[in-house]
Amino acid sequence: MRPTLSTTTLRRLQLPFTLRRNASTTASNPSIYDVVIVGGGPAGLSLASVLRSSAWTKPLKIALIEGMDLTPAREWKPTPDNFSNRVSSLTPGSVAFLQSTGAWDLVKQERVQSYKGMEVWDGVSGSAISFNTALGSTSDIAYMCENNNLTSGLLSHIESLGGIEIRDKTRVESITNGTDDGTLDLTSWPVVTLSSGEKMAARLLVGADGANSPVRTFAEIETRGWDYGRHGVVATLKLEGTGEGEKTAYQRFLPTGPIAMLPMPGPYATLVWSTTPQHAAALKALAPEDFVAAVNAGFRLSHVDVEYIVSNVTKGVVDEFAWREQNTAVDEKRVPAKAVSVQEKSVANFPLKMRHADSYIAERVALIGDAAHSVHPLAGQGLNQGIGDVRSLAKTVEYAVQHGQDIGAVLSLEPYFEEQYFKNHVLIGVVDKLHKLYGTTSAPVVAVRSLGLDAVNALDGLKKFIMDRAASR
Amino acid sequence: MSLHTLRPAVRQLRTLRAVRAHSTHGSSASFDPLEVSHFNALASEWWDPHGSSRLLHLMNPLRLQFLSSCLSKHGDATKNMKYLDVGCGGGILAESLARLKGTESVIGVDPTPEVLKIARGHMRQDPALQRRLRYVGATIDTLEKVLAEEGGRELKEGWEGERTMFDVVTTMEVVEHVPHPTRFLKECMQHVRPGGWVVGSTIARTWTSYLTTKLVAEDILGIVPKGTHDWNKYVNANELDSFFRGQDGWGGKHGEDIVFLGCAYIPGLGWKMVPGGEKVGNYFFGIRRNSE
Repeated sequence: MRPTLSTTTLRRLQLPFTLRRNASTTASNPSIYDVVIVGGGPAGLSLASVLRSSAWTKPLKIALIEGMDLTPAREWKPTPDNFSNRVSSLTPGSVAFLQSTGAWDLVKQERVQSYKGMEVWDGVSGSAISFNTALGSTSDIAYMCENNNLTSGLLSHIESLGGIEIRDKTRVESITNGTDDGTLDLTSWPVVTLSSGEKMAARLLVGADGANSPVRTFAEIETRGWDYGRHGVVATLKLEGTGEGEKTAYQRFLPTGPIAMLPMPGPYATLVWSTTPQHAAALKALAPEDFVAAVNAGFRLSHVDVEYIVSNVTKGVVDEFAWREQNTAVDEKRVPAKAVSVQEKSVANFPLKMRHADSYIAERVALIGDAAHSVHPLAGQGLNQGIGDVRSLAKTVEYAVQHGQDIGAVLSLEPYFEEQYFKNHVLIGVVDKLHKLYGTTSAPVVAVRSLGLDAVNALDGLKKFIMDRAASR
Repeated sequence: MSLHTLRPAVRQLRTLRAVRAHSTHGSSASFDPLEVSHFNALASEWWDPHGSSRLLHLMNPLRLQFLSSCLSKHGDATKNMKYLDVGCGGGILAESLARLKGTESVIGVDPTPEVLKIARGHMRQDPALQRRLRYVGATIDTLEKVLAEEGGRELKEGWEGERTMFDVVTTMEVVEHVPHPTRFLKECMQHVRPGGWVVGSTIARTWTSYLTTKLVAEDILGIVPKGTHDWNKYVNANELDSFFRGQDGWGGKHGEDIVFLGCAYIPGLGWKMVPGGEKVGNYFFGIRRNSE
């Protein structure tokens, strides 16, 4: 029996959301759905699109609920010199899956940037590791894709397939268990009441509703983890040069967190700088030209200089950087081209968290994406984990349909949990440890980790192994 | 590991009672009160994914795989299918059959009222099962009588003489409990239309099954009431094979439509089909009635 949520819990969640259990009266009978997906982000849309593209799961009655207006994503008409600051790194495995469903064809390919090389180095010792696909593999390490681009492609795909009932600009008001009317016993079915007044009874309710998942709260699934005390600062930058030819991703581990420059088409790149909340606020407050100089400092100056500039210089970072740069030796092959400008309004920051739900499933409930897990962005795995969840859950639902199982029963959902939980657990753990390992200037730790990086750099076999993991091959 | 080692006591009791009902033609009122109270305590677990029926639930997809492999042998149509599940228990198989795309109707038959109450209650939780699945309190011998009494001969168009006909008759984990397996199977077969199948599962009479179901489960662990299993009643695949081959109009010209396939529960991996396993423990069997 799930207890009623206390008001303090609700306040803490800060969601316009109420939970009522076994409501004794229902205004109207709910409509029956096989799958109700809460959340119209990349994970929820991918699930809807893959369930509609399989012959077995196509007959399922599916609804998708999204609080925001999806019209801008549907009518997305970007200009070639403007890129969103919300960009995800997709592994070849994720892209292959999206290709298999047909959704990838509807993503604007001219706005997707692949890269074949990766430069990673220790900001304290300078130890470096280069990855490139000359190590026996011809394919790309990853693909940088704006979330808008993916969302818009998925929406077009869903619309071309038809049959998914999308309710956008619609909030979930409450989730309760259904009732027994003497003929039909829906007491094990979640009934979702929407802000429109519509009620949906779900054979399977999928929480694709993000880190504060109301579906997870309804299912009383605990989530564990911690805040890193770090913020991710993102921005769209224009770099020196034309940006033609092979692209490389750059990541430098600074004691405050990694700074990464990820290639976008042409001379553009996207920045992900994980740092303290104070630094993040300071960076955000800088004038555009000073912000650009601070980013260049982040990749090129000593970690002590970076710390000094970001902590103390609020104006004139351009001059500060120019002066200090003269006294710093930089291997141009190992660092990204200098940023020359930052796209207007593209600087944003968000807190970094590690979270993992105790379970991804409950009776008639499955969680996917951020509702199940949040990971440090340093390995660019967040969305890939979500797509992994979608692939696994869709496969599990398909198997259940083939074998006449009730797709909402815990027994039918178990293979999904078993397949994804451990995989995600390992990845979350590795990324978490990497963050901690590099979050220090302690000399012995730096010596050992640098030795580690140098050794890894010398061993092509191990590097290939790491790259294959990074690319989910 | 054999299913019988871990199979739920609920089902043991149910099938035991089914056996008695079979042998005494419905005199099912003479249940041991101790067994009934034991059963009542366990009945609520039938659909509990972590309860005593878990292994049966996990085995269920294999039953459907085996069934589908039988049907695909002749490319038999799988549209508008009518199924009869004999010894349906709480409805684990019957519900799945009713959810399959090509199913028109499923009748689940079981003589134990308490078990059927569970089955009917659970069926109400799924709107997709309404009008496709129906439970009848009967044995295979009393089925026609009960159907007539309930006025439920909606399968009239399939009638052949005195019997309601089905595309497939299933009977899972039952034949090892009936006093006359061949007579029981003959009854089942009389409800199959030409080109249809009898599909079931049971357990071989081997030293392995003796050790796991009699010695360990009953005598040592006591997880199954003593005397639940009569090892001597276990049926070997070769025995079923020779019985099937003796049936005119069944199993194809040279027995090519008689199928056996072993299966086993492997801890950590779950249920797996094990070709040749029919000689050792749990196995599926299938026989097709020749098309006319």
